[in-house]
This record gives sequence, structure tokens and C-alpha cells, in this order.
Amino acid sequence: MQGILLLMTLFPLAFLAAAMLSGSRRGPAIAALSNAVSIAILAYAALSSGGTLSISESFSYITTIPISFSLRLNPASFMLLIMSYIVLLAASVAGNHEKESQKLAASLIILLQVAATGLFLSGNLFLYFIFWDIGVITSFFFLYSMGSPLRRPAAMKFLIYEMFASVLLLLGIITLYFGTPVHSFNIAYITANAALIGTTSQLLVFAFLITAFLINMGIFPLHFWLPDAYTEASTQGSMVLSAVLSKFGAFGVFILFAMLPIGAEAAKYTAALGAISAFYAAFLMFNHKDIKRMISYSSILEMGIILIGLSTLNVIGTYGAVYAMLAHGLTIALMFLAAGSLTHVFGTRDIRTLAGAVSRAKSTAYSFVFAAFSATGLPLTTGFIADLLIFIGAYAAFGFSGIVPLLSIVMLGAYMYFIIEKSILSTRKESEVITHASASQAFGYALLIGSILLFGILPFTLLGFVKI
Amino acid sequence: MLALLIIVPLIVSSLLALLLGRHGKAIKYLSLLGSLGSLALVFFASENAAKAQAIQWFALPGINVNIATYTYPLNMVLLWLVGIITPLIFAYSIGFMEKNSEQSRFFFEMGLFAAGMMLFAMAGSLITMFIGWELLGVTSYLLIGFWYRKADAAPAARKAITIVLFGDILMLMAIVMIWNSYHTFSIGQIMAAPSQSLYLPLILIMVAAFTKSAQFPFHEWLPDAMAGPTPVSAFLHSSTMVKAGVFLIASLFTLYLDAHLLPIILIVGIVSAAFGAVNAMAERHVKRILAYSTIEDLGLMFVALGLGAFAAAILLFIVQAFYKALLFMDAGVIMRANEENENIFKLYGSKAKKTMLYATLFGVVSIAGIFPLGGFFGKAAIGSAAASTNIIAYVLLLAIELATGFYIFRWYFIPMREPPQTDASRIRGAYRVMPKSMVIPSIILAILTALSAGAYYYLPMLLTRAPYAPGSAFGSFTGAAPAINIADAVVETILILIGAYAAYLLYSRRRAPTLYTHRLLSHIVYNAPVTNRAYAAFAMAFSAVGVAVYKTDAAIYAVFAAIAHSVIDLGAAARKMVNGQTSIYVLAFALGMIILVMLFVM
Repeated sequence: MQGILLLMTLFPLAFLAAAMLSGSRRGPAIAALSNAVSIAILAYAALSSGGTLSISESFSYITTIPISFSLRLNPASFMLLIMSYIVLLAASVAGNHEKESQKLAASLIILLQVAATGLFLSGNLFLYFIFWDIGVITSFFFLYSMGSPLRRPAAMKFLIYEMFASVLLLLGIITLYFGTPVHSFNIAYITANAALIGTTSQLLVFAFLITAFLINMGIFPLHFWLPDAYTEASTQGSMVLSAVLSKFGAFGVFILFAMLPIGAEAAKYTAALGAISAFYAAFLMFNHKDIKRMISYSSILEMGIILIGLSTLNVIGTYGAVYAMLAHGLTIALMFLAAGSLTHVFGTRDIRTLAGAVSRAKSTAYSFVFAAFSATGLPLTTGFIADLLIFIGAYAAFGFSGIVPLLSIVMLGAYMYFIIEKSILSTRKESEVITHASASQAFGYALLIGSILLFGILPFTLLGFVKI
Repeated sequence: MLALLIIVPLIVSSLLALLLGRHGKAIKYLSLLGSLGSLALVFFASENAAKAQAIQWFALPGINVNIATYTYPLNMVLLWLVGIITPLIFAYSIGFMEKNSEQSRFFFEMGLFAAGMMLFAMAGSLITMFIGWELLGVTSYLLIGFWYRKADAAPAARKAITIVLFGDILMLMAIVMIWNSYHTFSIGQIMAAPSQSLYLPLILIMVAAFTKSAQFPFHEWLPDAMAGPTPVSAFLHSSTMVKAGVFLIASLFTLYLDAHLLPIILIVGIVSAAFGAVNAMAERHVKRILAYSTIEDLGLMFVALGLGAFAAAILLFIVQAFYKALLFMDAGVIMRANEENENIFKLYGSKAKKTMLYATLFGVVSIAGIFPLGGFFGKAAIGSAAASTNIIAYVLLLAIELATGFYIFRWYFIPMREPPQTDASRIRGAYRVMPKSMVIPSIILAILTALSAGAYYYLPMLLTRAPYAPGSAFGSFTGAAPAINIADAVVETILILIGAYAAYLLYSRRRAPTLYTHRLLSHIVYNAPVTNRAYAAFAMAFSAVGVAVYKTDAAIYAVFAAIAHSVIDLGAAARKMVNGQTSIYVLAFALGMIILVMLFVM
């Protein structure tokens, strides 16, 4: 069906209008519906594709310089889109414990949905850049207007880093445009003709783009915005920032390595950076007592491992990394949702004062423990498929040193279980207040846990589309 | 029949337990039914000849991941063990948990735990095995921490999963490496073609097995795991979890033989057995004594494997499952009668329940290694193997046997004492109302413990029907029973009886009921605190590095901030130039003109 991708990208704007015009209480429902419709369209596209998920569409857009509105759906973008919609759906239904600024939050979620759809589907770099900026600005407002009292400095820091990244992105794209024989932004065209681009300009473009992407992913040493932003954001903000926005950069790296041949020489450096980042974050984690900050560092760790996977440049490692993006998105969203709920119930983020969550907020506590299992790569959750494939690829590409970063997961697990013991299982402060999760919250947990299990037990539903 | 079906009843019943929540009183019977269903399916599976089955799980270009099962004799041994022990444990749990409101969670986790072990047991590919292996890890975490309200449960659960997770990740590393050299996960294909590239993966798998089987230096999580409910301890120590490590090494035995790694296994096994034995002599916690004895038993199995006495290891592997489950069940009964007291010197009156007393005696005699119960054959076979190949190991084994005889009879005799006058009637009453569901499984296990001696005669038949990979190691014992030398057996039995008599003198006759308080002695034998301190030091080292990294992070950020500030300062300086004072503008204008004119002139 021609036009399905365009429809998928643009129909949420109608929901955006609806969300802005209707009352505050309807906001979450509208945002949830918008994402549910997206999931339905995506499922339809997958079922009607006949096993090879490859749809391309192109519409004329700007004619003075030839920029077309070209969209393409492939297995990688499919996995990221389905993850984004699930997380956005869960965030809009369950994420707002405080019930504040519901209308604004819903609008921003729909806007982020547009940004994610456009970015993961974009067939040319110009569109990629536009949707990137929509995503960054949306996230900035998310961060700036909702969250803890300290959110504003964190939001400004976030904006400065991300704007820097987006300038580098633009610089890289323009350099690439003039570097191609027939000036073009089209990713497929550039990939096919990349060998004709000079080494120097390739290097320049690669340096610009990878820096931009690594800032977005929060890879060492460009991670300083990340812990503050994830920690001070509202629950919804943390969920969408960590699950969806961080994938913009990761997906960029995925495209970049496929696009420029010079990536083959740079890959070992990016892999090293990923490994350093993973261990660095693991060690930093030990110093923090703030549950959300600790989850933020776990995100840096996982992004480091994803970068290793992308740097392997073989099919197994690369698609392992894409699967890891899906796994990370679902897991970290669940973790932030549970942590946010704990923070809301207990009024603190300090793990020393969160004592005894399991007897006071049962479903939240169980969800957090489940998320910890998934983060440490328990089989039958998505994390296992991701880890297995990434490190098989990494061993093929880098030998034994490629799989050493697996040990950072031991550290992650050790600290996770430490936190669970201290803040969730401990009963130092028994209280009579017992909160039952509301229906919307239970839905959020069930959706995320269900998705983690679904794609962990039936990975072939997604990986089956990958054909080379 | 699809072997994978064996775990279906267990999984279905555990999911039902979760779904029924607190509404269903039927949960416990459903779970028992599920475990019996799995046992029946094990029976059907063993009727068929050995066969390999594989279903594709997922694939990417270049890699194919299967869920593969292989029902060959060694796998069937473990499947039978788990299949038989599971319903007994579940039956025991019915009585044990009767007053607990969280039966749903308990039976859900227990069912998954058993299913994980069965999946591990039937695995024909590394991935299938790893799934079972990790399921064991997390469900044991949940079960050890089941009573999270108890002060010691949550830390114990964390300790267990942290150590086990380390092993899991090493195992994953090994799997990744093996795939890259063989491009398959199938254990059969890998065993058929041993190569040099397996050396490092085998070491990693070995360490993983040591973490799971609680071997030195990873052993301390196991005694702490006693914070979990008693049925969990009985299950964990007999047929599941800790047996997984031994089974793993056993099923890859030929590879370890080829890679010349057996001496390491021997040394670790004997050190662990010694640690277990000495700590068991001094420990006062009724279940922890048994936990240390499990470390010893597992150590002995590794010793047997390390000596190349494969059949002896499997023999002990089989008989240990029955006697250890039995001993734990008895510990649970005694604790229940004494208001869940755990200190063995505060437990009394086990004479009041004669059925349990005599049933337990089977377990005690078996673990001590006294003829004619199963334990005797297992331990004597290992002793004979050591006597003929490695004399140092043999001497150490004899010392360990002596200690075993001592601590297990100490464990048996102390709770036999008459209760103090004030509590006597209460304790006797508690023994009298012990639920039947807790007593009957113990009696069945006592019978099985007696029958397990038969494994000595049937083992060759069990193992030689279809060897996994016809390698050299299997040739050496094919068709032969594990060798037992009569002289060695007599020496061992005498030592055990000396140990038992010492225990009788010291504890039953109450000549020295407080020997354990002897300072020097207790420091030498009870070294668990030292091990814990070593663990703590290890964790401290990590957090010291963490602090260093934290400071580095702050330093790097300071550089970034300095750059940002210098930009701001530059801005501030520039701003001063546009402060609105006309005189400065005129001055600048004039200066600019002069410079321009000079440039033109020159």
C-alpha cells in the first residue's frame, strides 16, 4: 500500500491537534490512542509485507535543491518504531503519577512520536536532521516544564549538548552533500556511491556525525548531560528520553557505519569507546545513592554495549545492537516507571530511605526486580537475545577483548541487586501505608513486562525479517 | 515424544499458581499434580531410545539458534532425580506452608525452579542449557529471598545471585567463544570434535560450575541461602541448582580430560570439601551444618571427576540427592516443633517423633558412608579411586571422612536430648501434630535412600546404553561398576565410626556440650567469617576504584565547565564594548579610522 509510511509519519498531527484542543484529562487517552494506532499500522505493514520488510516511498518535497520526502521501512527501523510506540503508549497511560500538566505532556508525547517515526523512517539525511531537531526540542520542553525543582539547569545543559550535536550533524550532512558526486542527501544513493567520496571528506563527515551521535547516546566523555537530565525529569520525561531519544543517536551510528566505508577503520575506536563507557558507567554507579541517577548510569552502560555491537560491522553484532536498542528501551522505561512510582509514593529518590517498598507498593517492587533481570540479560527476556548476538559479533570482530565488556554486566547486576536489597526488600521502616497500583499504572507495567517477555521468548517475530 | 514436553506440566501449574493468587486453595495440589505429570513424562521419555531433538528458535543470516534437547543416559539420570524429588518436595511444602498466606508466590517460584532444572538437564545445546542455568539462578534468588521480612534473607539472596551472576556471565562468554570456533551450539557436535580453541571456554565454564556448585572460593553463598524456606533448601541441595555445576562438568567430561584440566578440578574439589567439613563441625545453625556438608559432598564429586573416576562421581551424584533431601526435611520438622529455632543447641526432643527419627537415621548413615546404604558406595568408590591414583588426595579424603562421621552424628544426636521441663509437653505436642504431608515424603525418601545403593549395580547399565561421544574416557569404565576396593572401604568405615563415636561421647553423653566455645579450635575450624571478610574486601576494592572513577569524572567535567566559563567570560568582555557610552563609540570609531587610513597609506 503506497503512502502507508507517510500516513504513519503524519497522522499523529491530527491527534496532536485533538490533544491541544481537548481538556487536560483527555490528554493521556489521546496520546495513547495515537500510539496504539501507530502500532496497528506498523503491524499491518509487517503482515502485508510478505516476509521481507522493505518498503520505500518518495514524495517530491523541495525542488530547488532536490530534496524528496523519502521514507523507508526496514527491519531495524521496524524494531525501533515498535519499541518507541510501546514505550510512548506506556508513558502516556502510566507515567504521570502526579497528574500535572497532562495536556502538555500528551502533546509532547505525540510530537515525540512524530519525531521518532520520521527519524527512524527517514530515507534521506535532510529529513533525518529535521526530525532529530523536532525530537530534541520536544525533549527539552519535556524536561524544562515537568520534573523535579532542579530540572531547569538540567534542561539547559541538555539543550546545549544536544544543540551542539545538532550543529555537528548539520555540518556533517552538508559536507557529505557536497562530497557526493551528484549532490544528494539520499541515504541509499550515498551508500551506493560512498566509495567515490574522498577519504578526507569521509573522515571529516564521519568525525562530525559520530560526535553528534555519541553526544546523543551519552557515551563517555560526552555523557555529562545525561545523568542530570534523566534524574531531574518527570517519570514520563525520563522514560521517553532514555528509551526513545537516546536511540536517535544509536540509529544514526547504525546508518553511518552502513553508509561510509571509512567506518571500517574507525570501528575499533568506537568499540573501545563503547567498552570504556560501559566500565566507566559501571564504576560511577557505585558512588550514587539516588535510584534514578543509578538507572541513568545503567543507561550509559547499555549504550556503550550497543555501540560495541554496532562497531562489529557484521550482521550478527549489528542486529544484536538493534535488538539491544529495543531491549534497552523497554527495560529502562520499565525501570524509570517503577522508580518514578517509588519516588512518588515515598517522596524520595534516595535508596537509603526507600526501605521496604515490597511491602508497601508490591507491583512496583516486582516490576523493578523484573527490569533488573532483563537488564542483566536473563534468558527469555529481550536482554539475553541482545547480549548473545552482540557479543558473538564482537568476538568475531575483535577476539577475546571484544567480550570482556560482558563483565560490566556483572557489576551492573551486583549494584542492581544491592539496590533491590536496600530499597525494595529491606523492611527497616515498616509503614501502614500500603498503596495499590492504579489500573493505569498496572497497565503500564503489564504492557512493558509483556513486551519484554514477548520479544524475549519469540524473537523470531522481529529477527525473522532480517535478510541479507 | 518431544522431550521439551516434560517441563510443560510444571510450567502450567506454576503459571496457574500465579494466576489463582490467594483465591485458590487448590494451588498446592495443582502444583503437586503438575510435578507428578512431569515425572510421568520423564518415565515415557526414558522408554524411548536416546535421541536428539531440535526446534529452531530464531535465526539471523549466519546464525541459527535452536532449542535442542538430548535424552541420553546421563541426562536421563538427572531428569529422573529431579522428577522424583520434585513431587516429594512439593508434598512436603504443602504441610510446611500450610500457615503461610503467600502460597501462590511460593509454588509459582518452585515450579519455575524445577522446570529450569529439568530444562537444564535435558539440554542438547549450549543455549538451551544456558536458559535453564539462568532460570535456576533467578528463581533461586527469589526463593532464597522468599521471606524478605527476615533480616538475613535479603542479603543472602543478593549474595547468591551476585556470585551466580558472575558465573552466568563467564558461561555466556564461553558460549560466545565456542560458537565462534564451531558455528554451532550443539553440545553433541562440539564434543565430537574437541580442539585447542576450547581451552579458554572450558576454563570459564569450569569457574561458572564452581560458582553454581558453591565451590571454593565461591562457596559462602550456600550456607547463607539457608535463610530461605526449608523445602527450598531441601530442593536446592539435593537435585537442583548446586548439582547443575557438577552435572555440567560431568557432561563435558571428555573435553576436560582432553584439555588436561582435571587436576584443577581435583584441587578445587578437595579444598572445598575440606572447607565444608571443618565448618560443618563447628557450625551451630541446624540447616547451615547441612549446607556445609553439601559443599563437602559437591567437593567430593568434583574430586571424583578430577581423579577421572567418572562413574564414582555420578554414583555419589545420585545417592546424595536422596539423603540430602531427607536430612533437610528432618531439619524442617525439628525446627517446626521447636518454634522455628535454628540453633542446634536449642533444639530438643527429636526422639518424640519416632518415624522421623528412624527415617532420618537412613540419611545419616548414608551421608556418613556406612555400609550398606547408598552413600557408602559413592564415598568408597571415590576413596578407592584416590587410593590407587593420588595418595595425597586419599589422605585428605580420609580426614574429611572422619570429620563427616563426627559432624553428622553431632547433628543427629544433639536434637535428641530431652527438652527442659518447662517446655517438654509443648515440644512433644508439637511433634505429635506434625502434618502427615511433611512426614510421608521423608519416609519415601528414607526408602529411596536405602534403594539408592542399587545405583551401584545399575549404574554401568545406565551409562553405557548410549555414550554421548564415544571418547577414550568412556572406554575406561564402559560396562564396569565403579571400582570399590574392600580394604579402602574398611579403613574408611573405621574412621567414620571413630568420628561417630566421638560425636556420641561429646554430645549424646553430654560430656562436652560446649566444646564449640573453645576459642582456638573454633577459629581454626569455623572460618566462614574469614571468607566473608575476603568477599567484603573484594567489594571494597571495587568501590575504591569507583571513587577514583568518580573523581576522574568530576575532573573531566571541570575541564568542560572551564571551557564553557571562558566562553562566557569572553562574552562578558565583549559585552563591555557595547555599553552605550557614546564617548567610547567615538573613540573606537576614531581609532578604527586611523588604522584604516594608515593601512591605505602604507
